Amino acid sequence: MDGDGDTRSWFRVDGVTKVYPNGIRANDGLSLHVAPGEVYGLLGPNGAGKTTLVKQVIGLLKPTSGQIMLGGHDLVADPAAARQLCSYLPQAQVPIDSFRAREAIVLCGLVRGGGRAAVRRRADELIEALDLGEWRDKRGIGLSGGVKRLVGFAMVTVCPGRLVILDEPTNDVDPLRRRLLWEQVRQLGDRGAAVLLVTHNVLEAEKAVDRLAVIDNGTLIAEGTPSAMKAHDRGHLRLQLMIAPGRGAPALPPFAQRSTLVGRNLMTVIGAGDAAAGITWAQQAIAAGLAEEYALSATSLEDAYIELTGHAGQDGDGG
Amino acid sequence: MAAWARSYWRMSAWDLAALRLYVPVLSAVLMLQGAGFVLGVGLLFSRMPAAAAVFLATGAPVMNLITAGLIFEPQLVAEQRIRGSYEFIQSLPVPRSAAALAWYSVALLTALPAVILTLLTGLARYDLHLAITPMIVPAVMLTCLTGVLIGLAVAHGVTAPMVANLISVTLIFVMTGFSPVAFPASQLPGWLEAANRWLPFGSMATIVRAALVPGGQAGAARAYLVVAAWAAGSALVLAWAQGRRG
Repeated sequence: MDGDGDTRSWFRVDGVTKVYPNGIRANDGLSLHVAPGEVYGLLGPNGAGKTTLVKQVIGLLKPTSGQIMLGGHDLVADPAAARQLCSYLPQAQVPIDSFRAREAIVLCGLVRGGGRAAVRRRADELIEALDLGEWRDKRGIGLSGGVKRLVGFAMVTVCPGRLVILDEPTNDVDPLRRRLLWEQVRQLGDRGAAVLLVTHNVLEAEKAVDRLAVIDNGTLIAEGTPSAMKAHDRGHLRLQLMIAPGRGAPALPPFAQRSTLVGRNLMTVIGAGDAAAGITWAQQAIAAGLAEEYALSATSLEDAYIELTGHAGQDGDGG
Repeated sequence: MAAWARSYWRMSAWDLAALRLYVPVLSAVLMLQGAGFVLGVGLLFSRMPAAAAVFLATGAPVMNLITAGLIFEPQLVAEQRIRGSYEFIQSLPVPRSAAALAWYSVALLTALPAVILTLLTGLARYDLHLAITPMIVPAVMLTCLTGVLIGLAVAHGVTAPMVANLISVTLIFVMTGFSPVAFPASQLPGWLEAANRWLPFGSMATIVRAALVPGGQAGAARAYLVVAAWAAGSALVLAWAQGRRG
């Protein structure tokens, strides 16, 4: 994507700093860029400054300093243009209690300026693609959280802006329809939209994004493709141990390079040459009743993320 | 201009669809408010004086119009803020003025059945004969518009949902008990009567009453100016609140 020469059409954040009146520095000199057609992940722990950045992009907050540009439009100077050019799916559910599912998608497309026939056609395509036919004429008040989430996604993307911002789009969505949703996210990129994906879900992000940034304490601490982010861990393996209920974590073996405990799930990174010793250690822990099971696998983006931020991502148990 | 008009129509359709489960309930609540007030106050008298009956019957519909604007939007926005959907609505690519006018249209549609029922209840209960003039149209529209704009200014200007709700409810109490809407201003203490010359609610009642009561036009021109000034001031506060970006 970096090879795209026409940078005027890119979404660019340059040196954005946001300091709230209470002195909290939510963003500190953030810079990133997203090319048309690119799916860009924005990862970071709670309070990292992701939502603050998004609110500045869509014109609801003004940066203390810095510039946000989209295709030659200055979104800081012209928040009305930001609303025209960006589609935004918030982390909270969209307010559709009174709407029927298809009606909500169509009306949102019309409010976004789409033509009536095109919006209806695209709404039907999205309902089909996301397997929402069963609920197309059901009112929002009776829909499950996952179905509401998918309807919200369809509302935002039925007539997408040049930049589509998706904040945790798969929350509450069942695994089968998550795959359908990710296919639609890819298609958004294929149709030329830049997609900014805000998520805690590192494992899903790894599969869905072209590039990603990790931000923490308002600053960008890493950026690149998922493969590049994992490059540091080449030659390493992840050894996961499910600790038995009521038992403490066993003492780590000397070859464990780093470890994180999420719930009962102990994740350690070991060298590839220590695989056999790692398996022996895990089997001994199980035999001693300290653990229930173990798994040895290639390191993932999540391991790189944990090393960068010191936090486990959502679904950090590998689920 | 065509794009603005299209945004207005589509946002009106959005608001109507979003509130379709609630509009009949809101309308019924307003009917209960208006008809209940007209009939309830009458229980204080064995025979209500004609002048008092006129104030009551023409003031209660004004309460409907003000309530529709002052209560519903602050409560709706407060709920959006609590549920986290406020940013989604605010991110829609609709001109703020078109969105505000769309909401005004929905509020007017919600209030009008109650206004008519309340007025008819007063006329029937107290055997009144009013002379309705065409000025009722601008009077009702301006009164509702000003109520809606004050409500929108509170809804978007006060970011704490509970505080916004408290302010709107307090304003309803001020309208009911401390503003010459359903009784003459001369009944108030001098300082409160003077204050009400610059507050909107009494003037709203004055302009509506001027379009209904023969010979009731005294002070109407000034009242129009006061109400229009409150509409303009509220619109400015609303524009500031929606343009404010932390």
